Amino acid sequence: MNKRFLLPLLLSLFSSFALANEIELEHDPIPTDRASVLRGAEQVATVCSSCHGLKYVQYRSLLDLGIAKETVDVWRGDKPLNSAMKPQMAPDDAAAAFGVTPPDLSLMAVAREGGVHYLYSYLMGYGVGANGETTNRIFTVTKMPDVLGISAASDAKQREEISAKAKDITAFLNWAADPRAGDRRSLGIYVIIYLLIMTILLFLWKKQIWRKIDAMEKL
Amino acid sequence: MFKSTLAWIDQRFPLTHFIKNDLADYPTPRNLSYWWNFGSLAGLVLVMQLVTGIFLAMHYKPDIATAFDSIQHIMRDVNYGWLLRYMHSTGASAFFAVIYIHMARTLYHGSYRAPRELLWWTGQGLLLLLMATAFMGYLLPWGQMSYWGAAVITNLFRATPFFGEQVVVWLRGDFQVGDATLTRFYALHFLFPFIIVGAVMIHLIALHTVKSSNPRGIELKPKDNIPFHPYYTIKDMLGVAVYLVVFSAFVFFVPNTLIEAANNIPANPMQTPAHIVPEWYFLPFYAILRSVPDLAGGVAAMGLSVLIFAAMPYLDRSRIPGGARYRPAYRFLFFIFLADMLVLGYVGAVPVTADTAIVGRVATEIYFLTFLLLPWISKKEEAYLIKRGLPPAVEEFLQNNANKKH
Ligand code: HEC
Repeated sequence: MNKRFLLPLLLSLFSSFALANEIELEHDPIPTDRASVLRGAEQVATVCSSCHGLKYVQYRSLLDLGIAKETVDVWRGDKPLNSAMKPQMAPDDAAAAFGVTPPDLSLMAVAREGGVHYLYSYLMGYGVGANGETTNRIFTVTKMPDVLGISAASDAKQREEISAKAKDITAFLNWAADPRAGDRRSLGIYVIIYLLIMTILLFLWKKQIWRKIDAMEKL
Repeated sequence: MFKSTLAWIDQRFPLTHFIKNDLADYPTPRNLSYWWNFGSLAGLVLVMQLVTGIFLAMHYKPDIATAFDSIQHIMRDVNYGWLLRYMHSTGASAFFAVIYIHMARTLYHGSYRAPRELLWWTGQGLLLLLMATAFMGYLLPWGQMSYWGAAVITNLFRATPFFGEQVVVWLRGDFQVGDATLTRFYALHFLFPFIIVGAVMIHLIALHTVKSSNPRGIELKPKDNIPFHPYYTIKDMLGVAVYLVVFSAFVFFVPNTLIEAANNIPANPMQTPAHIVPEWYFLPFYAILRSVPDLAGGVAAMGLSVLIFAAMPYLDRSRIPGGARYRPAYRFLFFIFLADMLVLGYVGAVPVTADTAIVGRVATEIYFLTFLLLPWISKKEEAYLIKRGLPPAVEEFLQNNANKKH
């Protein structure tokens, strides 16, 4: 996700090589604002949910995210609030229809090399092949249909709309993969500020204690 | 009241003696650089891993049907569970980073040299324990990389002479990595840290017997030693603060950089991931493993590459004291070794191609050559340096050693 910041760092250097000789992903920035996440939630709950579940996301947590109770009630149907977001199509039926069970989407934003960029590129990756068939340049043999319809979209305005939709969906799935990330970052800022102040004070204190030793001849 | 209580204890347990001799007045060279902070940092990381680990154990479920879900339960439902988990997963990497720097400092300054051989060897034992603990811990999230990493590494034991097959089954508790493997790795992953604590005690007893080395590699005169408290208590605290800033930056802002994407997919024995990569801290050794064409040879080379550090006190034959400070050839060799480690790390991370295979092969040879040529290089260097003339401190050291012999 944030790999771009760390590339110069040795540690991530090691873990991001796997990408090197694979298909170029699109690196458009993925929004993180609440409005995008909420729009994405609607897309996922109404479109993707026909085939995919999100087994680690309960309907209740959508309320915490700020979605109106009535909306969530429509999405969940007769399932209880503390139920996970289940696919509308039974997994067996989906497997029979597509030849593969649609994977759970809770962790999808972190489960592929490239993270959110993979997700966005995959949703936008559909096109028309040489024989008029729909293909996906990211995952050539994918059994998922082009649900957003990007392969049939020809004019720029339409593509723009689909791209915005895909970004919202990605934003929501990114939230779903780690719902505590917001808390984490906001707490992190305080922790780092606190530690930096402590570091400065300890540095000064150390200087003070060591001043006699520091004045001695170097060994 | 306090005094009499202390007196009561001291008659029965050497508390004051211990605090005075091993904490407060413990004589420490005054010229230690910040690279000497990493020993105490390793201690801190160990404690943090233990504490976060025990709290994680309260919520984790070692069963292949529930392990993956229980991690998500910790991440989402347990209060500050995400913090515990990210501290622990980042902590594993931090532990290796700290230990590798600690080892690099020891190598650079020749701190493994007499009389510190046992200190070095107990450290070598600690490294092996740490590697085993981290390896077993990595299976617990039961993701794709957990599963396949464990499958690949346990499979290496097939190279054991005569009993290969049996050893693999014995390690896994089954013919395949499965529930039996998960539960035993969990039990051992819980146990090993406490063995590490014990081994650290032994490491510290050895340290306090021979005392810290210093950048010169020559024991200082008593007047150049300073009491541990307050000088090194404050310096270690400063080191801890800086460490915590870096550590927190990872935990709070990029905790996922150190988690392979494939490990966010539940383990699936039917589907091998595209490339199986171990955690970054095993990559150089993994590259050595892959650089030898046959399994037994590769396993032997990998084992040797970790264990060969123990031979350092014998491989370094120079009479010139210490490490790189007074010894340019040794310093050069150190940096060659460091660069070679990075190359091996890179080779271990990428899929094998004709090019990386050659690079890996050469880097493996350089790895072992830096060790095996050391006896010869250190002797050559010694002769050259003596001919060229030495700094007075080293001259004096050699003179004292010569006198002792007579
Ligand atoms: C008509 C059913 C259906 C709908 C609707 C659907 N998917 Fe899928 N999806 C599938 C199937 C089937 C697969 C499995 C593809 C495969 O493995 O070949 C899949 C796979 C995926 C994958 C995994 C690709 C990979 O790399 O393995 C992602 C991501 C995904 N879907 C996202 C979405 C999103 C986001 C939506 C909503 C916009 C959505 N899907 C809507 C059927 C569907």
